[in-house]
Amino acid sequence: MSVSEREALSGLISMLIVAALFVWRLSGQYQAGLFDGPEALQLWARSVLQMVGVSIGIAIAVAVLTVVAQTVLTGEKPDDRRDERDHLIERRALTWGWYLLSFGLLAVIVDLALGASALRAMTLVLVLCAGSELLKDTVKLVLYRRGA
Amino acid sequence: MARIENRIRRLRFDAGEMTQKDLAERVGVTRQTLLAIENGKYFPTLDLAFRIARCFGVGLDEVFTFHDE
Repeated sequence: MSVSEREALSGLISMLIVAALFVWRLSGQYQAGLFDGPEALQLWARSVLQMVGVSIGIAIAVAVLTVVAQTVLTGEKPDDRRDERDHLIERRALTWGWYLLSFGLLAVIVDLALGASALRAMTLVLVLCAGSELLKDTVKLVLYRRGA
Repeated sequence: MARIENRIRRLRFDAGEMTQKDLAERVGVTRQTLLAIENGKYFPTLDLAFRIARCFGVGLDEVFTFHDE
């Protein structure tokens, strides 16, 4: 497993953990009625900022754990080289991520035009960012497994 | 449909059973990339193709062959 493939795997794992935490935290606050008042957006933004800090910690921890797991399983020092195939796969995966983000943002704008609240739009943008990252890492892993 | 084949495995064998890891290090790619090239799942850039050929001391057409079907 090359360094780029390992990073895609750790990115996918950490993004799934972070997404689950986001959903759990924000849905809890939503059900508690915290987003009903006039300061809903500020509260939402503060919650997201706190979670961003947590996300960075989770990403670092998962990245370290995957390096340790790879070293233990293979018994070799991981090869940290990146080559032309890694760059090609990175570009292909980025393209897929950007497609999702671009069309998703367009859909959010349409949703806003149809009368959706700013809170809903911001939450959808957050979901799109996470979805774009998940798609990017998934495409990378599929391309690495296929050999292309 | 065009098809590109390579003789890297044979050339490695002829070069004293050079391992994929050795060749990958010599041409500056990962072993996974070399494996993908050998299996015909990834086609290298001209730059890398020339580096592989030079590593075996042969011409490019002795490593890669193009079949137009």
